[in-house]
Amino acid sequence: MAELDIRDVAKSYGNVSILKDVNLHIDTGEFVVFVGPSGCGKSTLLRMISGLEDISSGTIAIDGQVMNDVEPAERGISMVFQSYALYPHMTTFGNVSFGLRMAHEAKDVIRDKVAKAAEILKLDKLLDRKPANLSGGQKQRVAIGRAIVREPRVFLFDEPLSNLDAELRVQMRSELMELHRRLGATMIYVTHDQVEAMTLADKMVVLNAGRIQQVGAPLALYDDPDNLFVAGFVGSPKMNFLAARAEGDRLTGLGGQAEMALPHPVAEPQVTVGIRPEHLRLAAIGETLPQDAVAMTGKVGFVEQLGDMSYVHLALADGTNVIARTTARWGGAPEAQAVLDPAKVLLFGSDGQRIRSDRPKHHA
Amino acid sequence: MTDIAATPRTGIEVWSILRWVLAILATIIAVLPIWWMINVVFSVPGEPVVINPRLWPTSLSSGLGKIHMILTETEYLRAYVVSLLYALLTIAGVTLIGSMAAFEFALFDFPGRRLLFSLVMLSLMVPVAVTIIPTYLLTAELGWLNTMQGLVVPGLSSAFGLFLLVQFMRSIPRDMIEAARLDGASHFDIYWHIVLPLSRNALITLAILTFMKTWGNYMWPLIVAPRPEMYTVGQVVGLFNSPYSHQTVDVVMTANLLAAVPPLIFFLIFQRKIVEGIAMSGSKG
Repeated sequence: MAELDIRDVAKSYGNVSILKDVNLHIDTGEFVVFVGPSGCGKSTLLRMISGLEDISSGTIAIDGQVMNDVEPAERGISMVFQSYALYPHMTTFGNVSFGLRMAHEAKDVIRDKVAKAAEILKLDKLLDRKPANLSGGQKQRVAIGRAIVREPRVFLFDEPLSNLDAELRVQMRSELMELHRRLGATMIYVTHDQVEAMTLADKMVVLNAGRIQQVGAPLALYDDPDNLFVAGFVGSPKMNFLAARAEGDRLTGLGGQAEMALPHPVAEPQVTVGIRPEHLRLAAIGETLPQDAVAMTGKVGFVEQLGDMSYVHLALADGTNVIARTTARWGGAPEAQAVLDPAKVLLFGSDGQRIRSDRPKHHA
Repeated sequence: MTDIAATPRTGIEVWSILRWVLAILATIIAVLPIWWMINVVFSVPGEPVVINPRLWPTSLSSGLGKIHMILTETEYLRAYVVSLLYALLTIAGVTLIGSMAAFEFALFDFPGRRLLFSLVMLSLMVPVAVTIIPTYLLTAELGWLNTMQGLVVPGLSSAFGLFLLVQFMRSIPRDMIEAARLDGASHFDIYWHIVLPLSRNALITLAILTFMKTWGNYMWPLIVAPRPEMYTVGQVVGLFNSPYSHQTVDVVMTANLLAAVPPLIFFLIFQRKIVEGIAMSGSKG
């Protein structure tokens, strides 16, 4: 149970900069998810917290104690690897107890702690088996067991579910949440899967190109992204982006044709309009719409029929592709109108940053 | 349907017969000398096989008698002990030193790693004939002539063994080493508890290859340990075979047979591992 403070942290290999200006505070007991595309530096940041990777500059502190020069084993952290990294020549008991044996704990203490972890993770019957005789999900649990017995201050997870099939992944996800609830420990979790991030996180940290893009609760990031990257990365299917011109108090040229009232004044003439698929309503071509409706006509391309809803891909007049969600089943018309909900529109400047009605907010 | 199926089957049969013939021929060529040795040893003395050719032994008791005679009346048993010690100490040293060095070379980065490893690999290119005299002089200088350490120590730096182990250890996932580090294992703990057990197969292979090489090594013991008390099996067999030996052919053959028995037993026990090991090392032993 610990809080973590990351200040001005940077990482570079020679001239190649991997992480820059990383500032982050993690509270005791929080479940924090680092998410971003591959190569964004999220795993490197996790490894720097663990001590497996040196810190080029800045500090990482756990409970106020700077950890930069502290050995990995002495930081009070445990890590679960993507590959599980179980020792293949040891049984489950051997794997789970390895850290305790290395710490020269008494035999009965080791037995008790392993038994407790085994009970939490339902490993009781697997203690004599070697990793080769365990399924993917069981291996995962052994890896978590190995982390639990050390009673760490911070748990680190490096894409732990990516080797599991979809069904097992959902199950393990709920088991992890249950584990977090039960242990109340600080957990940091790395994934490239934004759905996983949304479902697990108390606090989500979106990274791209070595920088933190935004930090916040999953829904806050979904509803109120700071920049184009976060807007596009969080949510599936991703947010639609339309180029538009700001003329007076109007936005024109949406999808090559539509216009709407500017929600708030902007300084730039060229902006990008972001709108989520669920905020685009589909209307038939002949349908009469209210006079102030912001409607864009487009050719229907690919349609994803999911049963309870459909995602309809539309090619607009200026060639922009947008996706609209409808809860009705799609009838198969070749063209349709996408009606945009002006209240849900987000505006982004040419630098990719969000243009808000007040002063642009920066991430914490 | 049957016609179509029949044609390739005949082809397969011809091929498998040919393969069998070739395999049997190869086996005969390989086994015949050993069988001949047994044949000559287990025959009545004064009844030379050459004069009266036959393919089967005639007298078990006279063969056992010859073996008994060699083991009791010559220094053969002592040579056995020397050879066995020589082989076992070399195996222990080569696997221990090799695995420690390979552990560092394969799994850790340190300044000069590439250069050092290249130097070691370069020594693989140098023929034994080139190094044997300097090695001898060095050993003599240390006062190690006619000693066990003189026999064993120069053979402990096995570039081939290092290469074999490094190749194997490179396949150990880095995550596993890091997991052990996070679990609080020291550098030596990681070597001892993780890497060594995981390298078991490679170590067994190296041990087998080292045994075969050491047991069959004739030249080094011959020059470094010329005193009779330090004779290895190879040297003793050499004495039996020497031009001025007064032994008859069947006794010489008995000495040869006794020298061949340990590697044979070794081979029969570790047959599968030897084949796997040679395939793994990608070179002959």
